[in-house]
Amino acid sequence: AVRAPAWPGLSAPCLCRRERVRAMFYHAYEHYLESAFPYDELRPLTCDGQDTWGSFSLTLIDALDTLLILGNVSEFQRVVNVLQEGVDFDIDVNASVFETNIRVVGGLLSAHLLSRKAGLEVEAGWPCSGPLLRMAEEAARKLLPAFQTPTGMPYGTVNLLHGVNPGETPVTCTAGIGTFIVEFATLSHLTGDPVFEDVARKALKALWKNRSDIGLVGNHIDVITAKWVAQDAGIGAGVDSYFEYLVKGAILLQDKELMSMFLEYNKAIKNYTKFDDWYLWVQMYKGTVSMPVFQSLEAYWPGLQSLIGDVDNAMRTFLNYYTVWKQFGGLPEFYNIPQGYTVDKREGYPLRPELIESAMYLYRATRDPTLLELGRDAVESIEKISKVDCGFATV
Amino acid sequence: SCSRAKDVTMPAKLPVSFFSTSSPVVDLFRGQLDYAEQLRQDSEIVLYFFYAPWCGHSIAAREEIERVASRLSDQVLFVAVNCWWNQGKCRKQKHFFYFPVIHLYHRSFGPIEYKGPMSAVYIEKFVRRVMTPLLYISSRSKLLDFLSNYEPGVVGFFEFNASPQPPGYLTFFTSALHSLKKDYLGTIRFGVVTDKRVAEEISLVHSGSVYLHRHANTSLIYPKDIMNFTAENICKWALENREMLIRWLRPHGGKSLLLNNELKKGPALLIFIPYNPLEEIHPLLDEITKVALEYHKCNKSQAAEPALQHIGDPDSPAFDSSVPDAQVKFSETFPIAKYPCCNTVVLPQWHSISRTHNVCELCVNQTLGVKPNKVHVPHCNFLEIEAALDSFYLQEHTFFQVISNTIECSNFLSFYSPFSYYTACCRTVNRHFLSFISSEKTIFQTPKVAFSSHGKKDNTQFSIPHIEDRNCFIPDLNISSTNITGLSCRTNKTLNLYLLDSNLFWIYAERLGASRSTHLKEFAAIVDLKEEVHYVLDQNQSLVGPTLENFIKNFSVLYSPLKRHLVDDPSVHFPEERVVAEVTTNTFHETVFLSAKNVLLLYYAQWCGFCASLNHIFIQLARLLPPDSFTVARIDVTRNDLPWEFMTDRLPTILFFPHQRKEQSVKFPEDFSVNLPNLLKFILHHSSLSSSEPCTKECLHKESVLQQGHISHLEREIQKLRSEISALHQAHDQLEAQLSEARREEQRLQQQKHTLEKQHKTLQLHSDQLQATYDQKNQELLEMAEKLQELADASENLLKENALLRILVASRGGKLQSKDEIKEHLQSEQTLSEDDISLSTATAPLEEKRIDNIDTIETEHSSGNRTE
Repeated sequence: AVRAPAWPGLSAPCLCRRERVRAMFYHAYEHYLESAFPYDELRPLTCDGQDTWGSFSLTLIDALDTLLILGNVSEFQRVVNVLQEGVDFDIDVNASVFETNIRVVGGLLSAHLLSRKAGLEVEAGWPCSGPLLRMAEEAARKLLPAFQTPTGMPYGTVNLLHGVNPGETPVTCTAGIGTFIVEFATLSHLTGDPVFEDVARKALKALWKNRSDIGLVGNHIDVITAKWVAQDAGIGAGVDSYFEYLVKGAILLQDKELMSMFLEYNKAIKNYTKFDDWYLWVQMYKGTVSMPVFQSLEAYWPGLQSLIGDVDNAMRTFLNYYTVWKQFGGLPEFYNIPQGYTVDKREGYPLRPELIESAMYLYRATRDPTLLELGRDAVESIEKISKVDCGFATV
Repeated sequence: SCSRAKDVTMPAKLPVSFFSTSSPVVDLFRGQLDYAEQLRQDSEIVLYFFYAPWCGHSIAAREEIERVASRLSDQVLFVAVNCWWNQGKCRKQKHFFYFPVIHLYHRSFGPIEYKGPMSAVYIEKFVRRVMTPLLYISSRSKLLDFLSNYEPGVVGFFEFNASPQPPGYLTFFTSALHSLKKDYLGTIRFGVVTDKRVAEEISLVHSGSVYLHRHANTSLIYPKDIMNFTAENICKWALENREMLIRWLRPHGGKSLLLNNELKKGPALLIFIPYNPLEEIHPLLDEITKVALEYHKCNKSQAAEPALQHIGDPDSPAFDSSVPDAQVKFSETFPIAKYPCCNTVVLPQWHSISRTHNVCELCVNQTLGVKPNKVHVPHCNFLEIEAALDSFYLQEHTFFQVISNTIECSNFLSFYSPFSYYTACCRTVNRHFLSFISSEKTIFQTPKVAFSSHGKKDNTQFSIPHIEDRNCFIPDLNISSTNITGLSCRTNKTLNLYLLDSNLFWIYAERLGASRSTHLKEFAAIVDLKEEVHYVLDQNQSLVGPTLENFIKNFSVLYSPLKRHLVDDPSVHFPEERVVAEVTTNTFHETVFLSAKNVLLLYYAQWCGFCASLNHIFIQLARLLPPDSFTVARIDVTRNDLPWEFMTDRLPTILFFPHQRKEQSVKFPEDFSVNLPNLLKFILHHSSLSSSEPCTKECLHKESVLQQGHISHLEREIQKLRSEISALHQAHDQLEAQLSEARREEQRLQQQKHTLEKQHKTLQLHSDQLQATYDQKNQELLEMAEKLQELADASENLLKENALLRILVASRGGKLQSKDEIKEHLQSEQTLSEDDISLSTATAPLEEKRIDNIDTIETEHSSGNRTE
């Protein structure tokens, strides 16, 4: 059933590696189907499944577009049918607004938009109608209650059945507020209901308004009072996808306002947090360095820079990050830059894709063979270090 | 994203062997560092290969190490240590930032870290150098070989006859090993001489002296009295004082500013050659070394005898003896080099059979006469040179006769400026005699100066071809017009020379435009980072000394004939007609300018997110527009260079080239959002103009913008002239003022003269008057004198009479009567003299006094008259 797309002009070792990556995917995917479905995620060491972000067979939704990229149309079609029958959002589950959006809404939307390309029969009116789109819309509507705050910034968690729980903490991480525009704007454009894009924009604007005098945003904010609770500013955990969505939203919507917001942030970030092509954590009001660490989540940044054409800086930062990979065979969650070693209790590598994504963007921009080396290294080390019988485990 | 917790863990898997059991490499995959140390005792040379089993680089290097090991296993012990296994000693003791790490030990000396390319030949070469860090130089010829290498060489002289090991030898040996630690900064070769006679060649007399050879500068002898004779010091000294004629560049693939730092130093000549470090001889490298040596050889030949340069050059044709003279004369009499605006013009041949032609150096000489002070003279303007050429053409015929072997100069005025004139210095040269060098600066450049074509073909009057008919005079491109010897010091575009191994870094060559199809991986390019250009040596020419020399020369001359190389994306294929055509550097002209269609061109780049999201609009647009009159195309400007005028600094950029007016391309306005209706409106608006009317407001506007440049230049010219005029006016006014001043002065003088004359006259009058009074007085005096004379006479008479009387008195004492008579007579006499009434009955002495008195008065009078 697997149909490999034709790639003329590729050398044999390249094709061989491609097969290896494909095998790695199926190793994980098949074990998920076998041992964990219909739970959200596979636990590779115990060979069972668990619900982590809700109960929507999350891995399956996440893997939809990968199936298409690998050219496995039949499996894609099968999964679409399974999801239509099996996934129900009318459940009494407390779900992360952020994760549900990026994984469920995002996954369903991309699958919906790709479905015609995949050879699926689409109904009349596609792309403005379709079962996957309806599912995405349903999921997104379950998230809307979270946005009912005085500031327009959403709560972090919402009950899919009852809305925001009474007594829910109003503290949300910055990324949890600013990571909606891509999915929600797409949804609004496809369904014609502007409410999604409106709430996403309102949340973005609220963040923009609450940035510090030196132009930085912190890590966590109270969505009722708009007070910053965690005042560490940086590009990594808690903030990362906010910046990412500003750029990608600007590109998707050809929106100058979003872009100018990002460029302002970019200026402040370069000014206060950049040292020798590393990006550190600083106090958002004073700009003083609070943590001289590199977080594995920050590795998306070079890719983002390359999207706006700052390829030189992107490459330099990427090579910094790559040295960390070369040291450990993966990126530790926290890496202390002055000490040149991992931070205690933060040595783990949960197989995050950020650095590899950046390498992909940069390779498209530069075709630098060093970037292919990272690809090779990633395959080698993930297989050597984290592969277990039932999949791939966090190390 | 926000993180989460996890619970279950599993210990890491046990390590397995990394090398196969049959491999000559000892694989300590459990990281037994202590055992590795033990093994070191067994062998003189040991290579440690520290790896991590997951590391891609280690995996790639494994094969290379095995290859080296299989060749050297009888002399070197190869030990691989897994430095990742967390229970192993290695992981606990060593702290590596990358893998693999290669350490070498020469007996107890080490570790020497190998930092070169992970390729078997390079590793093997390095291991061999660790095995024999010193080269034994036995003979004179070997010494010459050793010293003529492009890499710096250090020679130590040690006499082995006295003791088993002369003092200092071990230190020298260790310093050679030390230098290997720094080898990645540039190789320094160490050699040892034991023969006294060989040592004398490099003036080493005492055993234990160390010599650093240098080509361009003077060689050095290690200053033992200043620095301690230690291995580190020798190594440091050699590193600091070495000269690098050519440098190998080996970017290591990680974050490095190597290329950037080197290219920032100035224009760089990058030479890509396939290099096998194990080979004994490298003929191509030797040739390149020779070129580099020539290029850098400045101080010796130039300082001593500049004229000898070409005579000494075996390649240049024989010169007659007049040449050096002419040259000296030239540089003395015509300091043309002072003026920046010069251009060399080669006049066409007098007769086609003649082997001579005239070469002229045309210079714009600005304001050598009166210099208007306010005028800013731009350094050198192309338009000025053009104007100079224009007026030169008009006078062309005057330069056609065979002039002479020496230089003759003539000046002619510029069209409109009285202040600047052109100088043309011409001489007739034989055809194969174009080498012409002044000691300071190359005055006559290559004859192949690229003129902008004027299309002037007014050669009817004379049956000689026009200068710009280039086909009638095609100079032999291989004629060496400048000499490479010491060129690096004579040009202000000095090149740094670099070598790259094309086996490892061919990708750089490809990026610079080397063709991918060639199997001969030789390539040379000059990269000028500051000018943002690079030039490429034609790959059809083989990379040998002379072509390289020519390449360097062509770069160095003032008007370089090299063309900026435009890199083209070779990966673009045209399998079938695409909806949106992909344009490359090579197809740009054809697709955009030669096609009889309207062309809409999108500038994009792979990285450009904002460009990618326009793709669907362009595809739609291409489907909408009739394909027989519209082309929708795009160009990836990061992979395809275009001439500067077609480049953009902003992505995405959309340009529209309307049919039949391709030169009037229009840019899609930046502030409009790019969508189908806007694009269509834009296209229709600009394409419809063509048929109905040739030019509308907008196009006129464009036209005017185009003219702006020219106008502004002319305006500047006018301004210059104006200020010249005003300067003249000022000078005129000044002159006028001075003139009137002078006139006034004259008048004043005249007046003065008049008054003086008047004064003179009055004075004359006065003097006349005085003269008259003087005369009168004189007269009076004379009269007076006469009267006095008379008086004196009378008084004399009287005295006589008196005497007579006295006699009478005496004689006739008593006769009273007669006495009275005499008295009466005397009284009558007194009234006669006007002057003195008081002159009474005076006696004779009284009378005499009186006369004296009158005399003094007279003298006073005359002196007073004189003073007046």
